[in-house]
Amino acid sequence: MRNGHLFQRDSLTAFALLLPVCLYLAAFIGFPFVMSFIYSISNATIGDPHYSITGLNNFRDMFHDAAFRTSLANTFIFTFVSIALVIVLGHILAELLIRDFPGKWIVRFLLMLPWTAPIALGTIGFLWFMDSVYSPFDWLLRKAGLLGSPGDLLGPMSNLYWLARPGLAMASVILVHVWRLLPLATVILIAGLNAIPREIVEAAQIDGAGYFRRLFHITLPLIFPVIGVTVLFSVFFTFTDMTVVWILTRGGPPPHATQVLASLAFLKSIQGGDLAQGAAISLFFFPVLAGIAAIVLRLVKKAVVI
Amino acid sequence: MTSYFSRRDFMKTAGIGTVGLALGGPAFINKVFAQPSGRRTLRILQWSHFVPRYDRWFDPFVKKWGEEHNINVIINHISLSDLRSTFASEVVAGRGHDIVEFIDPPSDFEPSVLDLTDLNQEARRRFGAQVPFATRSSYNPDTKKYYGFCHGWTIDPGDYRKSLWQKVGKPDGPRTWEDLLVYAARIKRELGVQNGIGLSQELDTNMAGRALLWSFGTGTQDGRENVILDNRKTVEAVKFMANLYDQTLTPEVFGWTPASNNQLLIAGRASYILNSISAYRSAQKDVPEIAKDIYFSPALKGPDGIGWACEHVIYVSVIPKFAAANADIAKQFLLDLSANYDRAMWESELYASPAFFNTPLLSGDRGYPRVSGAKKLRDLYSHWFANDPYALPGEARGKLLPLRDAETWSTNVGHPGPANPAEGEIFGTFIIPNMFARVAQRQQRAEESVKQASAECRKIFDKWRAKGLIGQRG
Repeated sequence: MRNGHLFQRDSLTAFALLLPVCLYLAAFIGFPFVMSFIYSISNATIGDPHYSITGLNNFRDMFHDAAFRTSLANTFIFTFVSIALVIVLGHILAELLIRDFPGKWIVRFLLMLPWTAPIALGTIGFLWFMDSVYSPFDWLLRKAGLLGSPGDLLGPMSNLYWLARPGLAMASVILVHVWRLLPLATVILIAGLNAIPREIVEAAQIDGAGYFRRLFHITLPLIFPVIGVTVLFSVFFTFTDMTVVWILTRGGPPPHATQVLASLAFLKSIQGGDLAQGAAISLFFFPVLAGIAAIVLRLVKKAVVI
Repeated sequence: MTSYFSRRDFMKTAGIGTVGLALGGPAFINKVFAQPSGRRTLRILQWSHFVPRYDRWFDPFVKKWGEEHNINVIINHISLSDLRSTFASEVVAGRGHDIVEFIDPPSDFEPSVLDLTDLNQEARRRFGAQVPFATRSSYNPDTKKYYGFCHGWTIDPGDYRKSLWQKVGKPDGPRTWEDLLVYAARIKRELGVQNGIGLSQELDTNMAGRALLWSFGTGTQDGRENVILDNRKTVEAVKFMANLYDQTLTPEVFGWTPASNNQLLIAGRASYILNSISAYRSAQKDVPEIAKDIYFSPALKGPDGIGWACEHVIYVSVIPKFAAANADIAKQFLLDLSANYDRAMWESELYASPAFFNTPLLSGDRGYPRVSGAKKLRDLYSHWFANDPYALPGEARGKLLPLRDAETWSTNVGHPGPANPAEGEIFGTFIIPNMFARVAQRQQRAEESVKQASAECRKIFDKWRAKGLIGQRG
């Protein structure tokens, strides 16, 4: 019965429960992180497993690289515009979906679909929708008389060229990313809204508070911690994601109109073979994301305390 | 009797399972990847061919070859975009495939692959001289090492719609870049059909940009691997491209993928594109009336009468150092593949061209109608390009004739020098397409854009020089 005795010790049980997580974190997060750091201060290439330490040259080169600066700005635009839209649209959808109406389950089901489909497949679908020749969006606009003839609102060209014009390409990338993130954000916000005690809302209604007064003075403050978590998840997903950008534009239109840090790191390290430069770019995520996480968690904690 | 699975049971089972996996996992993996006893195994990794029919021939060919040599052969086809990252993982892991076939020169993998000088010498002994740019795409003159073996390549001609060019008085299509500018502009203006040269971060744009630079007498490097991009001729070429954009293209070219120009041609919305004959073959299957109107032109000539086109694909196989134990059978396979290149040409519907034109034809049933008098690949090639065996009924059979001497006007990435790792990185990170696009989009003046691209190229060259894979400035 010695084994049974061992498993009855709380400290041992706790250790055993935590061990798999620690091993997982060490193997799949700690090790790659350490390797990224070593690569970033080396001259490693993808074609040669041997490398030597070269100091901070890669970081110096990175800051002098116009592509890096553009990608950095694009990453912030891509992240914060996407998240602002996700939070606003997610909140509107959550407000609608906590109400009862016929066919609510099918609306919820449809809303979740983008989250259940593999992102690469969904994005390839959008790639076809935004095709420079066969775009059905453009076809609809032409049929609606908004595009394709002189004097039309969107111009005389037969297509809008969604992925070829810098502003429109960035808007397209953001649109697809919002489509992808919206279901998760909505579900989290529904949970937050359902957690608000009904009596508080009803008391405010009896006191004559209108919708916007209730929204800004009751609902938003009470679900602020939930919004904080949603923002945190969304920032992490968006800041480190390259799937949508790579499939839709590969960082273009040239020179780097939609390039983000994740896709630039891939471009430099895998396409270009400069593993060290790619590692230096990807390491840039760490302090930025750590800073954002610290700020958001601090605000959430403050809100909870209040 | 009630039975339940307690937390304690779970912990015990999970603990035993974890320990078991930790101890037994590596042994299991080793067993899976181990050589089966008694029979050797050759593992081949390559792309899924653009022409599916090629893979349908290649896979059984390899299996049959294996049976004849008492070797198990495993072929894995993966997406072109996954090839570099997959091989990089194998290099780090120190195990994987014995032959990896790239479709661009993998010169940056030189430190991790075997020197194939003996294989290349043997191939020359058996099949005669190799196309020069095939050598420049597999040999590093600075380290004197053949990091790969090039058995074939693909032509990148101009594909034009004859009916459109006829209407503007140029029925044989463009022969110079100036023709392209003048007549494609007229076609766009008068017939409403645009030109199809890309200006995006993709492969075909990379090739078109290089073809333009070389035809203007400039390029990224000279024959001794010195960066020469920043010069008057490059500025002229960049201004020319901006002019070409203004007069013959639309903004869509900034968002193109490698498939976009094919789509545009097949949709009947392009007067001219730079692409392999696969675009035409697709049209033959999907839109025959468009296919019948597609004809071909060789490399366009620049102001000084020079015309170069970039090879569209160059097949370079490498044997990793970790596969040294199987190097003998890998080399044997590559020699036998070259000996069977008539089938590779035929099954790829003439997409693949041989690197060794003087390869003797094998006897017996070769799976295609015999060509009388043909003794070498060159004879077969000349005959098929003069009489396209895949022409549609009622279609002109001599359309491919202008491409019969394509090896004289085709060249490698890095022309006139070798396809070194710096050229590979410049190609892979789209420095040349960006240089052209910045000016076409009015973001920069030509001189500024060339200077920026040149500085980026120099930095890349310096880095690879420091790694010892490019010689010192000469």
